[in-house]
Amino acid sequence: METIELLILLLKFIVFPGAIFCIAYGFFLEWFDRKLYAKFQNRIGPLLTGPKGLLQPFADFVKLLAKEDITPVGADKLGFTLTPLLTVAVSLFTLLFIPIHSLTGVLSLPGDVLLVLFISTVFGLLIMFAGYFSGNRFSMVGTERTGLQFVGYEIPFALSVISVAAAARSLEITNIVNYQVNILGLPLIVFTPIAFAIYLISALAKLEKIPFDIPEAETEIVGGWQVEYSGKKLAFFRLATDLKMVFVSGLAAALFLGGPYGPSIPGLEPIFYTIWFIIKTLIVMFILSNLRSLFARYRIDQVVHGFWKYMVPLAVLQILIVEGLIFMGVI
Amino acid sequence: MAVLSKLVKWARIKSPWIIHYNSGGCNACDIEVVAALTPRFDVERFGILLKGSPRHADVLVVTGPVTRQTKNRLIRIYNQMADPKFVLAVGTCTITGGVFRGAYGVLGGVDEAIPVDVFVPGCPPKPEAIIQGVVKLLEKLQKT
Repeated sequence: METIELLILLLKFIVFPGAIFCIAYGFFLEWFDRKLYAKFQNRIGPLLTGPKGLLQPFADFVKLLAKEDITPVGADKLGFTLTPLLTVAVSLFTLLFIPIHSLTGVLSLPGDVLLVLFISTVFGLLIMFAGYFSGNRFSMVGTERTGLQFVGYEIPFALSVISVAAAARSLEITNIVNYQVNILGLPLIVFTPIAFAIYLISALAKLEKIPFDIPEAETEIVGGWQVEYSGKKLAFFRLATDLKMVFVSGLAAALFLGGPYGPSIPGLEPIFYTIWFIIKTLIVMFILSNLRSLFARYRIDQVVHGFWKYMVPLAVLQILIVEGLIFMGVI
Repeated sequence: MAVLSKLVKWARIKSPWIIHYNSGGCNACDIEVVAALTPRFDVERFGILLKGSPRHADVLVVTGPVTRQTKNRLIRIYNQMADPKFVLAVGTCTITGGVFRGAYGVLGGVDEAIPVDVFVPGCPPKPEAIIQGVVKLLEKLQKT
């Protein structure tokens, strides 16, 4: 009996909704993002790789895996090899806390909102290490910029998540989802629209997408922190970026959009919940791609100023609004 | 193993990432290369992306004749690329040196410095011709 349970848990970790599902969905999200981005620019985007170019991210991944793997002489060999692996491992680990097929994730423990927030800051740190270990002047500039941007977006990101946790009076993702589904009956975005906007903007900075792609700015510093990475290591970094996209949109769905809950046939909840999860994350990705194609890259000082001058006060205002609503008994 | 090598070959054909380097030309070919990337021709349909770093790219797109000053830099960029790597030479100047042939600062065509896979003639070649060159390169890859 115990071995069967262990086997089911292992399948959950590895196949669904763990590693394999998340990687496949990450590739799908990258394709969705690239296709939308191309559409907004009046282009077509990936077309000939698989149906409608659906296999393009997978083809890129396989090609990079098969390419030569260069370690520069000036690089720190151990760190240079370890950082890509750690980045993928950390991104996969955070995804286990995101509720996908039911109202709880594969892993769930009291206070996991804080744990997920903490691990998502490790993303930024690992990017800094990645640039630092490659020993290239362009990567060093990328590392500095990552660090500075990190100072900007991390606090508003945490505050926007905390305002949701304050509304649900819980620091557990499962409880927050349950609160929206069973007690409130509404997604929390109705009461925390400002926090949702701040979450999306700082998520763009976290993913290093275009208005905030300062650390990898291809036109200024060639490729920023990833300039020296080639072959397998670059493939792992791209995979990690896709997984981060799944994480960011999944966390947004769980905290603001009522998790994977939606109308479903009793008995078939896992299937319907997965479909609702995919719909909600695609909505989030749609907004992110829109923002990505609307704006041009900001300067690094504009980013830090903007986040500290406007985002942090707005996030605090949102927490006050939530507290006021709770005080008046609305939520 | 046969299946795996087939998969790798398919992936290589489906996602050639390019890096663009001007080794001393007059900029006309560069404008045509950029035109191939923009909405009208949009080579991202074939999975082609323009990359900034030679470490990320598979195809080195060279425009212009090789001058004595850029020769060493061109060789260095070529050596920085990860295997398997290919070179696409765009424009008449890359074949012979074009109108700059015989000038004191010009070495000649690109094949004076690095091995070239496909030449695209024209002064400047149209974006269609550049895309045709990439197709020829991918056909060459298909045969190996």
